Amino acid sequence: MTNGNQSNADLFENLRLELRRGCLIVAVLAQLRTEQYGYTLRKSLADDGLAIDEGTLYPLLRRLESQGLLVSQWREEDKRNKRFYRLSSAGEPILKQLLDEWQSINASLERILQEA
Amino acid sequence: MSTPSNNLPSGKPQELLQRYLQAVRFWLPKSQQEDILAELSEDLRSQVEDKETELGRPLDDAELGAILKKCGNPMRVASRYQPGQYLIGPTWFPVYRFVLKLVLLWILIPVFVVIVGPAIVLSNPDRGAGLLQTFGNLWTAEIIAGGVITLVFATLERVHVKCDVAEKWDPRSLPPLAKEQIQSGTKTICEIAFGVLALIWLLLVPQYPVLAFGPAAAFLKFGPLWHQFYIPIILLSLFGLAHQIISLARPQWNWLPPLGRLLSIVLTLIVLNFVIDAAGRTPHNEWHPFVALVDRVQDSARYGQIAALVNVSILLSIAGTWLGLSIAAVIETWKLLRLVRKRIPQGHNAAPFRAA
Repeated sequence: MTNGNQSNADLFENLRLELRRGCLIVAVLAQLRTEQYGYTLRKSLADDGLAIDEGTLYPLLRRLESQGLLVSQWREEDKRNKRFYRLSSAGEPILKQLLDEWQSINASLERILQEA
Repeated sequence: MSTPSNNLPSGKPQELLQRYLQAVRFWLPKSQQEDILAELSEDLRSQVEDKETELGRPLDDAELGAILKKCGNPMRVASRYQPGQYLIGPTWFPVYRFVLKLVLLWILIPVFVVIVGPAIVLSNPDRGAGLLQTFGNLWTAEIIAGGVITLVFATLERVHVKCDVAEKWDPRSLPPLAKEQIQSGTKTICEIAFGVLALIWLLLVPQYPVLAFGPAAAFLKFGPLWHQFYIPIILLSLFGLAHQIISLARPQWNWLPPLGRLLSIVLTLIVLNFVIDAAGRTPHNEWHPFVALVDRVQDSARYGQIAALVNVSILLSIAGTWLGLSIAAVIETWKLLRLVRKRIPQGHNAAPFRAA
């Protein structure tokens, strides 16, 4: 049964990552309504219970920036260069739509779970 | 966006961090190397500083190593910055896999087993060497075919050829529901009846050559190859009858007709190979392998020409039959493989949807 348990654990991990993927995008966009650089963004997400590793966050930030949802700027702070990100004007309505969608999905799920 | 300055750390304790960033750099897209490394380096430095503040002392190599280990393998970290790339994308991949399977498994292997293999083995005095040569050639053919198919699909992917098949389809043009293939009893009875008649004909022909030659039996008789291969032909005929009788008795064994047909074809091909081979070895000056002249017209030039013509016609017919049976062998192999695939339970597949 070890293999079965192992594959169940892998299966859960894959499903968990899939579930998190979309939520992380919404969370990152929402957090970046206030300008932040990568490390503080990671810390604030982790403080709110949504830890994300650097290998996932930075490629995601680049992708969102290339899609025009974020803007970034290199600035010196505490004698070190840091890249600051914030939600772009194009990203604001998208974030609103995503939040509406998320709330709708959440409400549906709750109804489904109550019925079960 | 201004160009970032180098955030790379310096100093002995940070050497490990520099080595890590150097390893990440190797796998990064060139155009973004500096930008990505500056950002990643800044994050790692911030993590180190936080940890040092927490401990109240500089980190040693092991503690720094733990942070880097958590960050991940350099190649993996870098790979996340690469755009999603694939040789053959999800649109083309099912078609690619189907073509690859069709060519490598269902065409090349049967062709080599049924046609190329016997031809090489029978033409080679050393049968073992012939077999090895067949495997070598099959392997080479598989690699080349696989490579060419992959190249073609990779090119289609590269030039962004749209797979219209996925979009232009009409539900009404879908194939009808597959029915369970159970051979009809009437068809099998007819096949048995013809098989019995053919067997009787074969058994009577040596005594009554007129059944084969008609009026020409007055000057033609069977050649030496007929005597050599008479018994194998009778056995083949019996084998065909046996599998048809069993198919009639056990119609639920739906694997038997295709398997029996395939075996019958393969055995016939083997016999035909030997016949062609033996015909080729017959001396040219007395080349009457299938049909010869009866003794009393041995010296007739006219009948000699007719006999030669009949022999050549038979040889050509055998060659044609060999080709036809080879194609039939491929088709029967394909049918049998489909049947086997259907019978093997697919463990991870979901239960088929059934309408209520």
